[in-house]
Amino acid sequence: MNSRLIAALATAVFFLIQISIDLAHSVTAFPFVHYGMFSASLPAADSLLSYEVTVNGKRLEPADFRIYRWDMIQQPLAAFDRQITTHDFIPDKQKFQSELPRTYHYVYANLNNQATGQFPSWYRDYISRLTGQPIHSLQVTKVWYGQNNGKLMQLRKASWIDLE
Amino acid sequence: MTTRTYYTRDRNLLVVIYFLFYYAVLLGFFLDDRLLSQYHPIFFNFNRDLTELALIATGIPRYMIAHPAWFTIADILAFLLPLPLIFREARQTGHPETRPANFSPWPGLLFVCYLAFYLLLADIFWQVHHEPFILLLVLALVWTTGRPDRFYLILKGCRYYFLYIFVSAAIWKLARGAVFNSEEMSRILLLHHTDLLTGDCTSLACRFCSWLIAHSTIAQSLYLAAFVLEAIFVMGFFTRRRDRLLIALTILFVLADLLVMRIPYWTILLGTIPLWMRDRAGDHGDDPLRLPNRPHPQPRKKKIALYETTHHENLPALLDLSQAHFGQVTVFLKELSYLNLTGDGSPEQRWPRIEFYIQPTGSPNRRFIRQLFRHIRRHGYTHLHLCTLDNNLLFFALRLAFIGPVHVSLTIHEVNEFLSGNFGSLRSWTETFSKPILRRLIRHFHFFLPAMAREFSRRQPGATTVFIPSRFYSGHHPAPPAQPFRIVIPGSLDPNRRNYADVTKTVALLRASPSLPPIELVLLGDSGTDAAIGIITTFESITSNRLAIRSFKGYVPERTYEQELAGAHLIWSPLNIHKKSSRNSTETYGLTTASGLTSDLLLYNTPALVPADLIIPELFQPATYPYRSPEEACAIIRRLVEDPIAYTALRGTIHHAFSFFTKENFSPAFAELTRP
Repeated sequence: MNSRLIAALATAVFFLIQISIDLAHSVTAFPFVHYGMFSASLPAADSLLSYEVTVNGKRLEPADFRIYRWDMIQQPLAAFDRQITTHDFIPDKQKFQSELPRTYHYVYANLNNQATGQFPSWYRDYISRLTGQPIHSLQVTKVWYGQNNGKLMQLRKASWIDLE
Repeated sequence: MTTRTYYTRDRNLLVVIYFLFYYAVLLGFFLDDRLLSQYHPIFFNFNRDLTELALIATGIPRYMIAHPAWFTIADILAFLLPLPLIFREARQTGHPETRPANFSPWPGLLFVCYLAFYLLLADIFWQVHHEPFILLLVLALVWTTGRPDRFYLILKGCRYYFLYIFVSAAIWKLARGAVFNSEEMSRILLLHHTDLLTGDCTSLACRFCSWLIAHSTIAQSLYLAAFVLEAIFVMGFFTRRRDRLLIALTILFVLADLLVMRIPYWTILLGTIPLWMRDRAGDHGDDPLRLPNRPHPQPRKKKIALYETTHHENLPALLDLSQAHFGQVTVFLKELSYLNLTGDGSPEQRWPRIEFYIQPTGSPNRRFIRQLFRHIRRHGYTHLHLCTLDNNLLFFALRLAFIGPVHVSLTIHEVNEFLSGNFGSLRSWTETFSKPILRRLIRHFHFFLPAMAREFSRRQPGATTVFIPSRFYSGHHPAPPAQPFRIVIPGSLDPNRRNYADVTKTVALLRASPSLPPIELVLLGDSGTDAAIGIITTFESITSNRLAIRSFKGYVPERTYEQELAGAHLIWSPLNIHKKSSRNSTETYGLTTASGLTSDLLLYNTPALVPADLIIPELFQPATYPYRSPEEACAIIRRLVEDPIAYTALRGTIHHAFSFFTKENFSPAFAELTRP
């Protein structure tokens, strides 16, 4: 009986934490994660960012790849972009520092990425493995789109990575 | 005891399903270059997850980037760590009683911790997104316990978590107003499929997505349908009765997610396991939130369903026993079998408490099997006995895998066939694939001969095997009039199964004895087949005014069959001891397969002539006369014909021996067969 009660209590605590994490929403604590499943009420976006990848002069299309494989083409770009624009996740570190200054001071060195200047060449090698071909040229362009009656209209574009 | 057996079955099944999922996930990572060693990251991400932040703070991700060999080690460990668990579970299959005593939670705990660690690393380095994998982690907690109550408690917790996933998604959609935003789905599609929509858009996925965006009302309807689907899961908190519906909805959700959102969310299907796997002892039906200290409901009424569509002559004993042991009995059988189940009277008269579910002539077997399983589920049957697998092994294996709290037993007709594999055709492939699954799912087996039960038990240690004859002895029957001396050869005229050459030689020898009284040979089977025509022609060539032959064309009705056996002075079973099964396995009569002889013998106290190599159970030996050659067979027949007093005494001896074959004497065997 005791073990059942303990188990019931443990389950209750689990769900309590889960619900608390859900209510916190902007932050999670694995294994307590959100299952929103596209629950945010979306306003019309001003612009949508897309990374266009051109390999050996040919633009990569999502339809030519398995879903996860395409994710792996896009994901590193988005992650690297975020790392660059946040200067290696400075806002997260600042939050950490303000909440737990002593711990932050103790672990500070572990929170910083090494210089990521080699990302373009790393990405070229990774894409080469994903596409199964040697890469002679690689261009990544950031393109911003706007919406017009449910259609995407290109607003602007900027070359980001260019390896010949 | 009941709980223990169900627990063993559930646990074994969970081992297979869980680790199939687990390795499928790793294989998916490998195929998409997502293993850490394949990705070989050069920086880590902050994903606003406190646990990840804690892991980053330890310095492990940074150290791994500096020492990339650790990525390979991490991957290898992910592949290898489950192996001790799998080997442990496989070693304990069929021996559940060893589990609690020897059980160590540490391999399970280590696996759970490492899985969590690996998932955290995957998210830190390449943003795996944890949501689809949490159930993989939570469900892994079952490997930390060897106790049935804790096993089911964890499953119950996983079930609630699974329900929570969907219900929380529905609540969030409501709370954040997404369901009230008429453009919500179109905007989600635009945002989520930006890459897809900005290309040349020739693919079906892109055109479908564009069409949905252009028709925002339809798109929003899909979104609302998803909301309703998620909200339906709330019913799972109040009843388990709709769990199968929830499983179907989960599959629908995964398919829709793949087609519309291009999200392969298949790992969430793992969460359907706790929906159909439950603790039978603690099963509270409508009230899943029942507290442990409340009294348990009354045990369920024992109900058994029997499925038999090939050999109705094997049913009588099982029906007698089922009627005596169960509160409710339903038999699923063919129309022809039903009409021929008894020689005298109707089946309802003989078994008044049994319900007969009849397959109309021409109705497909699979439909009938589906009806069987639907009936079992809807009416809460506790037991299922399969008298045949009906050439639908894969279909049965799949249905049995999801049958839930039902004790299943099976009649084995051919031991070698059931234990062997064959790859000659697509059907053979599916059957070969299905047999190990069936042997894992079914642990209780019924045989028509004790030697078959022993042979199977020897080759499948741990299985419960019982001998129950096809029918019970119906009582003393007076010998028929002395002349003509009637010899009946029951069964189809199949030269693969019976040696008719020995019979014709014997008959020729008998004809050469002028002192013998008239003899009639009755071929009690369908003689209208191509194979039978040659046999009949041979017999007809040796008939005389003192030796008559009688045969039948087409199916022999049970009434006729029993009347002919009642009029027999001697039954002759000229079996070829070794035969090929329908799938080409070699079977030995008396050891790995049974003929209908024992069933025929138990109708009346008639002696039988059998080949000397046939293994005869001791209980039947008073009724059988083995012969090695036509000369020996002829001599035996002559003795029986020429000494009526001895013949009458013989029938009395057989009657005395067969009096053992009663329902009461085989009740313990049946109880063992149906005891979970």
